[in-house]
Amino acid sequence: MAGAAAYAEADNAEEIIARIETKSQKIESLLKQYKHVEALKTALEGSPLKTLDERCKSANWIVVRKAIMAIKDIDGMLNALNAEYYDILMKYLYRGLSTGDEPTCEQCLMIHEKLTARAGFGCILRCLGDTTNTV
Amino acid sequence: MAVVDVHRFAESITCHAWSPDHSMVALCPNNTEVHIYKSLSQDQWERLHVLQKHDQIVSGIDWSSKSNKIVSVSHDRNSYVWSLEGGEWVPTLVILRLNRAALCVQWSPKENKFAVGSGAKTVCICYYEQENNWWVSKLIRKRHESSVTSVAWHPNNILLATTSTDGKCRVFSTFIKGVDTKDSKAGSPAETKFGEQILQLDLSYSWAFGVKWSPSGNTLAYVGHSSMIYFVDDVGPSPLAQSVAFRDLPLRDVLFISEKMVIGVGYDSNPMVFAADDTGIWSFIRYIGEKKAASSNSSYSSQFSEAFGKFYGSQSKSATANDASESRGRVHDNCINSIVPLSKAGSPKVMRFSTSGLDGKVAIWDLENMEQELGNQF
Repeated sequence: MAGAAAYAEADNAEEIIARIETKSQKIESLLKQYKHVEALKTALEGSPLKTLDERCKSANWIVVRKAIMAIKDIDGMLNALNAEYYDILMKYLYRGLSTGDEPTCEQCLMIHEKLTARAGFGCILRCLGDTTNTV
Repeated sequence: MAVVDVHRFAESITCHAWSPDHSMVALCPNNTEVHIYKSLSQDQWERLHVLQKHDQIVSGIDWSSKSNKIVSVSHDRNSYVWSLEGGEWVPTLVILRLNRAALCVQWSPKENKFAVGSGAKTVCICYYEQENNWWVSKLIRKRHESSVTSVAWHPNNILLATTSTDGKCRVFSTFIKGVDTKDSKAGSPAETKFGEQILQLDLSYSWAFGVKWSPSGNTLAYVGHSSMIYFVDDVGPSPLAQSVAFRDLPLRDVLFISEKMVIGVGYDSNPMVFAADDTGIWSFIRYIGEKKAASSNSSYSSQFSEAFGKFYGSQSKSATANDASESRGRVHDNCINSIVPLSKAGSPKVMRFSTSGLDGKVAIWDLENMEQELGNQF
């Protein structure tokens, strides 16, 4: 029983990773066309929040990071991004800050400031308080 | 002006309750005592009684409006029912049979029962047994996975809603044979037996606090620690749930002003107004104590603003300075942890209510003059 469940989970993980790969290619092409906001939206969409599989989360993080690092005009990005993306973006900013990698942290901290000004402390609390949906 | 009266009674207040005629307030100044104050005139309060019986912090007080009895619960795991006999408040011990702190208490609408939420993952329903001259505590066990933070009675005197730090909001039947009668036209709720779970709501991913029913009992509202408030219509087999996220610090307690309007209080120390539009969609409307010209820049509106300003360097200094002046104009300077209606029981609208919090103040609010500002949701 436990074995079957684990197998199903693994199967599911393969599926998720395949989806992330497709997403990654789409983001690459969007970034080449300088559609940074579109790329970020695509990256944030369909994030595997519920799965416990670390490989899926890491694979998705690599894709999201690419989109986050490409952002130059943060204010413009936030203006173009709908409010519904704020909570999930905040989750990835904290993941970025937890990596300890200097350029990533720098970029995430800069976006964090602007995002907090816009979305308020509620956004941070929703990100920190939710232990079920993780990125 | 929405605030009628503010008075600082202590360093900090854990909970408060009003006498039936609203002339006296019972509060716990963050210790083992319950103090009763009488209002003399504007901002003049006289301490009439100090109720000393608990051994640890008093976490909940409720004052029944018909029978004029005070019930208090404490972290010492006990509860006392106080009745006024010849000018003195006489306590009766209620053994709750808990092994953890009692956290909240509320009289049922008919005042023949009261409910206690506790850290023992248990809810106690207490009722008076005439023949033994004794309060009996019946427990709802093994339903909650964590502490019960708040309890609220449905107007039908049978259904009880609870919130817990396991993030769930639940509705139970508290039908007790010999105390409740089956006559009611309400039908279904009375047919369920004691402790039966009617509903479990999994809307929140973090701690849930502060639950209330609307005056008719059709809608339920509760808050989560992730800056969310949840509204549930048609409580029953097919509930309609809505989650509303807001931008500031989380709420601790809520109060229905009418069927379509809710006041939320909490860590932001400024009460928030939520209202439902004609289609029944709930949304955040405004702060009660809000200055008219709330610039979009005043986002760092909390006690953390200064720390945040330092964190981000000089850039946000102007915002911080802005904030300090803003918070000085506020009624409460710290987390508000309770909101109590000041209206006759069963009336469809609450025009006055009081709030108390960690700053030791009790504030009385009147919405009479605010009706226009709040729009037609009343």
